[in-house]
Amino acid sequence: MLLSVKDLHANINGEEILKGLNLDMGKGEVHAIMGPNGSGKSTLSKVLAGREDYEVMSGSVTYKDEDLLEMSPEERAQQGVFMAFQYPVELPGVNNTYFMQTALNSVRKARGEEELNSLEFMKLIRGKLKELNMDESLLKRSVNTGFSGGEMKRNEILQMSLLEPSLAILDETDSGLDIDALRIVADGVNNLRSPERSMLVITHYQRLLDYIQPDYVHVLSGGKIIRSGDKSLALELEEHGYGWIKEQEAA
Amino acid sequence: MSQGQSLSHDAASPDVLQHYHQLAAHAAATQTWVNPQRRQALQALETIHLPRHRDEAWRYTPLEPVLGQPFQAAQREDDLLTADDIEQLRLTPSENWRVVLLNGFFMAELSNLPEKDRDGWEVLDLRMALEQGHPQALEHLGRLSHASDLFSALSTAMASEGVFVHLPAACKLEQPIEIVHVNLSFESDFITQPRLLCVMDADAEAVLLEQYVGLSDTVCLNNQVQEVFLGQGARLRQPRLQNESRLARHLTHLYIEQQADSYYQSTTLALGGHWSRTEFHANFAGSGAHCDLNGFYLSGEQQSHDMHLDVIHAVPNCSSTEQFKGIVYADGRAVFDGNIVVAQDAQKTNAQLSNDNLLLSRDAEVDTKPRLEIYADDVQCSHGTTVGQIDAETLFYLRSRGIPRQQAVAMICQGFAGEIVETCAWEPLQQRAMQNLQKQLDKVAAGL
Repeated sequence: MLLSVKDLHANINGEEILKGLNLDMGKGEVHAIMGPNGSGKSTLSKVLAGREDYEVMSGSVTYKDEDLLEMSPEERAQQGVFMAFQYPVELPGVNNTYFMQTALNSVRKARGEEELNSLEFMKLIRGKLKELNMDESLLKRSVNTGFSGGEMKRNEILQMSLLEPSLAILDETDSGLDIDALRIVADGVNNLRSPERSMLVITHYQRLLDYIQPDYVHVLSGGKIIRSGDKSLALELEEHGYGWIKEQEAA
Repeated sequence: MSQGQSLSHDAASPDVLQHYHQLAAHAAATQTWVNPQRRQALQALETIHLPRHRDEAWRYTPLEPVLGQPFQAAQREDDLLTADDIEQLRLTPSENWRVVLLNGFFMAELSNLPEKDRDGWEVLDLRMALEQGHPQALEHLGRLSHASDLFSALSTAMASEGVFVHLPAACKLEQPIEIVHVNLSFESDFITQPRLLCVMDADAEAVLLEQYVGLSDTVCLNNQVQEVFLGQGARLRQPRLQNESRLARHLTHLYIEQQADSYYQSTTLALGGHWSRTEFHANFAGSGAHCDLNGFYLSGEQQSHDMHLDVIHAVPNCSSTEQFKGIVYADGRAVFDGNIVVAQDAQKTNAQLSNDNLLLSRDAEVDTKPRLEIYADDVQCSHGTTVGQIDAETLFYLRSRGIPRQQAVAMICQGFAGEIVETCAWEPLQQRAMQNLQKQLDKVAAGL
């Protein structure tokens, strides 16, 4: 098991958002988590990535047989956890290439690998851009500054491909994207699928799952996973809406 | 701004004032030239009072560092600096044009200037220009600087040392002139008072690149007064790196007068010193001119940095941008006092003023006061101020990419400063500034 979440309870600003969440992910698996607004989707991704504002009250998260909750955000990243942000942050004045080189070298250093010099890094990043069909102009700009929604999400995928995570969390990566941008981002993600990489795709809409086909689908509601199944569950949800599943639960 | 502090200075004022009267009188008695402006400044000194917190322009500025003791006039030192020292400091290629001022004195043998009269432009030891009766130098010196406070009056009353730059019409310099200001003395408590007088005739173009370096750890007051005259269509850029030593007091009064269609851009980076204050006094004398003032301050342990702006739009169709940023940490202090006046006749003025501050500690303090006084009705003017901490989501974003917290903090600060630093548009200067910044910020970030 790569990731095992057991009976997780988490608060923000004193309000309980996750109320006993359980989730197991194996190596190389793609899991989708779907849920209505306010069900706790973003809270789950941020707790896994280590955002300090979220307070874990009880439960456990085991990642690669270690206690994930004990690690700082940078340690998690160094251990192979990557979250693509729903709203990536703008860093005016910080060059995108410099940012990514610093990130990659921090991760490499922590893993005991040789750091890359600028030349080696440029070679690597150009290759990644080509694989992902992205434009080199992204490299010259300040991180996410003045980027369109699509460019920001592509920049997230680029960072993901660079850092080669074992666990990639896509936090509502589809939000705010038109269908073309969505397709490009989904292609990027599919490119990165591998037996060595697990993905947790968090989304409100089934639409994204047309492009990124999950192995498992979970429905999150009221801070808990109330239903799990294969990808057909996503289609059922699309047809009947979230109300249907809540009714079933109540029955 | 305790009452007690103001009172103690007012009480101390006769002694300190008397000291400076004597300095000025001595200078007047020994100098061989005089112009009307200088005479006026000498008179003004008679009635001027010491800066005090009651004066709006000095309300938030710590006064003790500059008024707490009488500073003695610096003496010319001829053998302290070698060409090798300058080689270490310079930010332009060694064969480039360069002026070295040591404790305010023009050091011809350490400077590198072309043969006299080449293309008609001149960079001269101000003292020589004045003593030899250079008409432009005599006409312009002190014409913009006014006796707004003790130190500007003192500078004009005693003016003799410094640099005189004159570019005739349409003269375009293809490389920057670097001015290296070095303070170095084995004695404490001295005042250096160089002037920069820059007169550019119509359509002339130049870059003046300045750095201020302190090589000794003694208390000194660097009292700079600069006057820049831009003729019609003239263009000047003036990147300035203030890297004084940690006991130094640095005061710059920078006066700019712009004729029609001229362009002025300056970036002041205040990184060093115990106390620094830079005043920008910009005046538009003809329409269609643009003035672009940028500044950055890094104020930490036992430091204070002030930036004061008086930009006067007196004529129509001029534009100005004023972008200032600062990072304040430990018990550092900063003051931003930005004033833009748009006169009744100055229609179609465009002025954009901003001041953004990052406070990294509980004890850090910034007093920011942007002001717009608008008397015309057809203008586009804005001002904005922010004072904040490092954004938690931004920090999380960097850390979630594996970047350790300390490095992430330093990166955010560098990015914040970088936006101003890059307006210097001179790579070696930017690198020097960023290295200095990084060194200080790494220490700060480790403690956060």
